[in-house]
Amino acid sequence: MFSRRISIAAVALLALAACAPPGQSAESGAGATGPIKIANVNAQSGQLSSLGQWEHKGVKLAIEEANKAGGINGRQIQLDLFDSQGDPTVGTNVARKISAEGYIAMLGTAESAVTLAMAPILKDAKIPNITSGQSPKLAELKSPFLFLNAPTSVTFDETLAKYLIDDKGYKKIALISNNGAYGSGEHDAFLAALKSRSVTPVADEVVTPDQKDFNSNLAKIREQGPEVLFIGAEEVQSGLIAKQSRELGIKSIFAGGAPMGTDVYADTAGLKNAEGSVVSSPYLSNEASDQIKAFAAKYKAAYNEEARMHVAKAYDGASIMIEALKQTNGEGGQKLADAIRGVKRAGLLGDYTYDANGVGIHATKIGLVKDGKVVPEVAS
Amino acid sequence: MKRLAFLVPVGVAAWLLPYGLGGYSMHVVAVAIIFAILAVGLGLTMGVAGQINLAQVAFFGVGAYTVAILCTRAGFGFWSAAVLALLVSVVFGVLVGIPALRMQSHYLGIVTLGLALAFTNWVTNATVAGRAEGISDIPVPVLFGLELSSAYLFYYVELVVFALALAFALFVTHSPLGRRLRAMRDDDLAAGALGAEIPLLRMTAFVLSGVYGGLAGVLYAGLIRFVAPESFNIANMFLLLAMVIIGGRASILGCVVGALALAAVREALLDVSAYAQLGYGIVVVLVVVFAPTGLAGLPHQFRRLLRRHGSGARLRLGPFQPYEQVAHAGDGENVLEVQGVTMRFKGLVALDDVSLTVPPGQIRGVVGPNGSGKTTLFNIVSGFYTPSAGKVRLRGLDVTGARPYRLSLRGVARTFQNLRLFEDLNVRENILLGLDRTRTSWIWRYAGLPWKVFGYQRALDARADEIIARFGLADFADAVPRALPYGIQRRVETARAMAMSPSLLLLDEPAAGLNGEEVRQLAEIVRSIRDSGATVVVIEHNMGLVMSLCDRITVLASGKVIAEGTPAEVAIAPAVVQAYLGDSMAAPTETAVEEATR
Repeated sequence: MFSRRISIAAVALLALAACAPPGQSAESGAGATGPIKIANVNAQSGQLSSLGQWEHKGVKLAIEEANKAGGINGRQIQLDLFDSQGDPTVGTNVARKISAEGYIAMLGTAESAVTLAMAPILKDAKIPNITSGQSPKLAELKSPFLFLNAPTSVTFDETLAKYLIDDKGYKKIALISNNGAYGSGEHDAFLAALKSRSVTPVADEVVTPDQKDFNSNLAKIREQGPEVLFIGAEEVQSGLIAKQSRELGIKSIFAGGAPMGTDVYADTAGLKNAEGSVVSSPYLSNEASDQIKAFAAKYKAAYNEEARMHVAKAYDGASIMIEALKQTNGEGGQKLADAIRGVKRAGLLGDYTYDANGVGIHATKIGLVKDGKVVPEVAS
Repeated sequence: MKRLAFLVPVGVAAWLLPYGLGGYSMHVVAVAIIFAILAVGLGLTMGVAGQINLAQVAFFGVGAYTVAILCTRAGFGFWSAAVLALLVSVVFGVLVGIPALRMQSHYLGIVTLGLALAFTNWVTNATVAGRAEGISDIPVPVLFGLELSSAYLFYYVELVVFALALAFALFVTHSPLGRRLRAMRDDDLAAGALGAEIPLLRMTAFVLSGVYGGLAGVLYAGLIRFVAPESFNIANMFLLLAMVIIGGRASILGCVVGALALAAVREALLDVSAYAQLGYGIVVVLVVVFAPTGLAGLPHQFRRLLRRHGSGARLRLGPFQPYEQVAHAGDGENVLEVQGVTMRFKGLVALDDVSLTVPPGQIRGVVGPNGSGKTTLFNIVSGFYTPSAGKVRLRGLDVTGARPYRLSLRGVARTFQNLRLFEDLNVRENILLGLDRTRTSWIWRYAGLPWKVFGYQRALDARADEIIARFGLADFADAVPRALPYGIQRRVETARAMAMSPSLLLLDEPAAGLNGEEVRQLAEIVRSIRDSGATVVVIEHNMGLVMSLCDRITVLASGKVIAEGTPAEVAIAPAVVQAYLGDSMAAPTETAVEEATR
């Protein structure tokens, strides 16, 4: 009897419910008042959390400056931080969360894999995203809502290969890279750059992102006696590889992307071992130009630590977002994406001019590590 | 049916849930349901069938990756890819299950864990699986022309799949198959002796695991539309394990509750995710220590606490109702023929050229000092051991080395020296296991013709009532064996053996631990069993019982037959007297033999 009454009630409720499909009422996108909500998504926990914390500081610096200067035509920007844990699946959850909670733009993440996972959802929700990832796959997505605040690995490695082979004439080159998203992107891009110059690497070792001991891989590389060892890994791992190479007596020159221009790399490897490493990066040091010097000083005043590329590019990305928001008067969606594409900015990493794939910077510079600091290499 | 009435309001609430939730919460719920399906699968394999399976997350990954690869690389539609993905994960389930045929418990855990790691390793390195970056841009599934792009719509698809998956899991657990799986979990040797095909049952458990993992994987691919190795790593396997353990591994509904509860906790801990793993770890330890049966076991634990204070009516063992007398089929063929059987254990000869012939309708006693090889002989006749030499024939048919379940289906039933009742199954279920005479290959009906299973179950129930009444166990039908006095447990084991309607019944020390009155009842029961048409072989130390009960007696000492004849003949045979009173104590190897035969 009891259950029958319940089923009658259930049918009645269902009939009622059928009239109104579930779902939220659409968010009012351009509410003329109130703060503009921007999400910063970055790993605050897990292996890559230091990266995420730098990114967040850079973004925060830019937003705070803009708010102090009066915000977007009088409206303040509300910046909220979300933890992606460096996990793509968590990233997709966060993407849904920010689209459900009415954020009109997103900055981050620093991990290409997470951004790749979030991109389709953000595209559907029409939320423009300026990412710090630099995997070529980000550009291959061709999402009109995805923008990079740095060059892709292709640019990094093309410049590096040009310097090493065309300018310096090295031919015996060995590769070591990890099979994480960043490492495999570097590996593929550098290999492609070598191929276009008809150079075959003498060794091509792949490690895992959490590997700490590379002796067996490096022993194989030592047998080939390469002139150059290309390292495709994050900061700490690059440093460990450099250190263990020298311990094994490998005399090669180390070469790699932006991670090798950091103090983390130099400290992990040891100043002596890092000496002379060739770095391809759009941001070589905190003294590269007057604009960068001013930024580095400002950053040091705010956080009492040295600026670095991750901070600078996050700052650049946030500044571009702010500029675009000013043009749309705080409106998001397609209009904001178009505005970002139109921004021409002389940033810390170079001159931003966005192409159809969302890549803004198309060149990097070559530097050499001297005493733990990167010194620009004067073109020969 | 009435017990499941509470599912109705739960179902209605689940149906109406989206009207009260925001977009993001909806997404969280949708993910939680996927984990609930996974937990149900793991509950079936690990909780019900007792197979330690740490590869469930890999089945999940296989399902999701297959959909992703087929959709993005091979141009399949979502639903056709989903069907294939389900097949692939079942195949993967079979492959992972193969080691279970050779090893159990923690060894199996290590092997399955290794296979799960191998899977994540492979997807991280294989180009076809998108390597570390995973595969994005899985197309939106379209159902009846409707794009399931919002979590709201997808939720309803999930809800239907989940309800079906849950119903099937509950149906399987409460059916004869589920009973056999639970029996295998408790004691695979005894389950084999009752006619359960252990290898096939283990594979069934892994196939079920594969089906549920694949199902969850397909839904995951459709909901998240992105797959990456991190989603199927060991941390998630641990989370899944925690869900099942916290919920209660032996209860399917408990697994669901555990999955939903832990998904909610995980959401709440999102901002302190660095410490979340630590939190799960602590919760799992607390649950294992204080509530080993999980959340699902809590009501039962409370009820027991309450009952301890109230005094129930005293339960009584009823009288045995004798079987109707049946004339033995007079074809004169011997029921059991053991011919020249020798059994060696690494140089230790437990049985040496033993021959024995039992004609139909006889009660044969097998006696001998400890370690004389009596139980070894039973283990050979019931298929637990394959003899080193010699032949065993049942009604003229050579059955040497046949598996226990085959012999069981041919009408050989046995009891065990130190009782092997299924501890976590109640008396009725123990007896139902004996009644269930189907081959495991019968299980296709569970998927194809479930109503036939219900009909079969009803027929079994009626016969179980009959047996319970005959053995006077009506008061204990719902009790678990370990809660019963020893004498009653013995009676239950005999009843379970008789449920198999055997033509040959092997009783291994049925009187051990019984008092005088119980021994008298036992003799009455065994005679009635013989009168019902079965042939009985009984190992016994109680000489009074043996002498009064048995038609003929075989005496074993040091693995050899030293005498055979009527009780009166055997009692005065010089070899027997010497074996019992002479130097039997002087032979040190005999204890070792007894150990080996256990």
